[in-house]
Amino acid sequence: MKKLLVLGLSLLLTACASVSKVGPGEVSVKDQLSARLDSAWNKVALPNNGKSEFWTTDGVTLDSLVFYVGIAEGEPLAEQAGRQDKQQARFRANMPAHEVVELYGSVISEGGNSFKLDRLAPAVFLGGDGFRFEYTLLRKGDEVELKGVAYGAVRNGKLYLMTFQAPRLHYFKKHLGRVEAVAASLKLRG
Amino acid sequence: MLDREEAKLRRSLFLVQDKPLNDYVNRIACRLAGDHCPDLRVYVVRTPYFNASMAPNGMMQVWTGLLLRMSNEAQLAAVLGHEIGHYLARHSLERLRDAKSRSAFGQFLGIALGAAGAGGAAPLAQLALTAGMFAYEREHEREADRIGLELMAKAGYEPIEASRVWAQLLQEIEAEQDWSGDAGSRSVLFASHPPAEERQQALVERAAQIAPAKAETGKAAYRAAMAPHRWGWLEDELKRRKSGETLALFQRLLQEAPQDGELHYFLGEAYRLRAAEGDRQRALDAYQAAAKQANAPAEVHRSLGMLYQQQGERAAAQEAFRRYLAAKPGAADAEMIQLYLKEGV
Amino acid sequence: MQQQALFMRAVFALVLVFCGAAGAAANERLAQGFTALPAGARVIVMPMDVELFSMSAGGVLEPQAEWTTLALDNLRRAIRSRPTKNGAVLDTFQGEPDLMLDDFNRLHGAIGSAINIHHLGPLKLPTKEGRLEWSLGPEVSLIKQKTGADYALFTFIRDSYASNERKAAIVIAAAFGVGLSAGVQVGYASLVDLSTGDVVWFNRLIRGYGDLRELDNAKESLDALLQSFPG
Repeated sequence: MKKLLVLGLSLLLTACASVSKVGPGEVSVKDQLSARLDSAWNKVALPNNGKSEFWTTDGVTLDSLVFYVGIAEGEPLAEQAGRQDKQQARFRANMPAHEVVELYGSVISEGGNSFKLDRLAPAVFLGGDGFRFEYTLLRKGDEVELKGVAYGAVRNGKLYLMTFQAPRLHYFKKHLGRVEAVAASLKLRG
Repeated sequence: MLDREEAKLRRSLFLVQDKPLNDYVNRIACRLAGDHCPDLRVYVVRTPYFNASMAPNGMMQVWTGLLLRMSNEAQLAAVLGHEIGHYLARHSLERLRDAKSRSAFGQFLGIALGAAGAGGAAPLAQLALTAGMFAYEREHEREADRIGLELMAKAGYEPIEASRVWAQLLQEIEAEQDWSGDAGSRSVLFASHPPAEERQQALVERAAQIAPAKAETGKAAYRAAMAPHRWGWLEDELKRRKSGETLALFQRLLQEAPQDGELHYFLGEAYRLRAAEGDRQRALDAYQAAAKQANAPAEVHRSLGMLYQQQGERAAAQEAFRRYLAAKPGAADAEMIQLYLKEGV
Repeated sequence: MQQQALFMRAVFALVLVFCGAAGAAANERLAQGFTALPAGARVIVMPMDVELFSMSAGGVLEPQAEWTTLALDNLRRAIRSRPTKNGAVLDTFQGEPDLMLDDFNRLHGAIGSAINIHHLGPLKLPTKEGRLEWSLGPEVSLIKQKTGADYALFTFIRDSYASNERKAAIVIAAAFGVGLSAGVQVGYASLVDLSTGDVVWFNRLIRGYGDLRELDNAKESLDALLQSFPG
């Protein structure tokens, strides 16, 4: 049954997923953010990615740059499959940075991945107050160790979060500079 | 020669390598297995779910979610005894019908994965970790329970603790169902084993018939052995966001150790993360109870600070953040806390 | 993160859909600027990352350690007896893999999946413009130091076999017009330049037949996987 489900998902993927190029230059993210890119990324569009956008350079199993755009009070970062309503971790507008990290940590730990926060500090994001955190993620499926960095800010009661993760070997270092540049250029539109 | 799966498990990044912990768990297995001790190797795997498994070559896996849930050494002995029961039963079986039993060894996994998958916990390559587990029919489970109980009694453990393992697990699953409506039974054991109620009842009845020479629970020894690792496992538990199960677990652990500041703190964390009606006050109460205990972690003050801040109690929040920073000046989040101190959350 | 979880789970399944994908042009298999191994190049064959599974009636995969051991023996024998062109020397890695090698092997699995999905598969990455442009990174020079080799050959193979119940399920499903997979062989092989970490040659194998538990079939599968090997 499980297998059939996965098979179905993959059919869905190939039928509906598409990859397009973003940048270089001025680009928009979910129509609400704009970024200025020195080099292009690949945007992977899925039928159900809701309020998030998924970019990669080397592929979905390697590096992922994800934008969660305008998550409102009571909304989850991403709907977690197979969970009851009350088992979804949800955003609250009065969450301090710590609780946003916890929210992200529990979503990313789904399936047995091991998440560890390495650093959390204030940072400028979307041209104003925000926070930045670094983490390590041990992926359960293939035991690849990933490093991650993320920026977040709450504006008008809504959460804007940008996360990047890639294998500790080679890929994280390879893209970190570009990722920091994306974060620095990101603005709320109009 | 080491089996391939075992060699792989030994190199897994999820294996808990700590020697004292491994020695402790293996010592209990040996105490139970007697002459068969040299045949067994127990591995501790960092996974926040309740499970243990035995492979035909004597390789046993115990998940940290299970270790977190045992109240004492006798309970862990009950689980290990059950798994050793499988191993011992296999010997007689195998001699009779080698080929047949060999072909049966694959089954558990399919069921295990189905169950784990229902919890969203089975990406395909996780197969590697659960590899080597094998299936028994329900009759085999009952037999393993029977043998496990005998081994426990012979080794001097309090046999009634075996039934408590199941009672505790049932309590958690019911609590989750009450809270979220999730019909539960994420547990691999539940999917493949006889109904938990039935097993618990059978274990109670059989325990009553056994009068062991001595009947230890080994509570203090167990707590001491787990203490250095428990923090990380409690954190893993919070990340599952199964508030019903988690709260039932933490409340039970607290009943057993009402003076444990760390547990009061984690109970507060579970309420804070659940964030349902009235949970803020429950979290606050738990943190304040934690702060009174000798082993209160510094993190209590961080969490208190965030709650006070959200309630607009600025002075109390600042005081709490200061205490956290004083205790953990080099914490990974120190810079963030300094900002909270200066400007509020 | 749901997308990512979805992807991770679908990685393996995705390739099932592309059984018998059309053969790609040879240059798709080579990195830009690389044509063949230099004469006399030393290639170290990394410990193979191989897992064999059985597929139950419900389509659930179970690892089969005994089969895997058998397949590994066969594959090792096959690679030893494989002739090379232009005098390249293939050495099998000796001894137990250590943590560093495990790390690179795991990374290679993720890279192989990415190449499979995004280079040879349907979800092409526009920024790559069709180039085979993946790397394990310069840290692989550690393998060069350790072994003295110039190149490393990484392999990743997952193979599943239908159980009898599965075969029955397939027949029943076929009667209702539903096509179920009977088990499938997926393999990636990468030749890695140990001074840069770059994958200079890559090939994959995706098909619904071939049994690695038998020596002749294992040889045939390995030949298919190493077809177009540039040396």
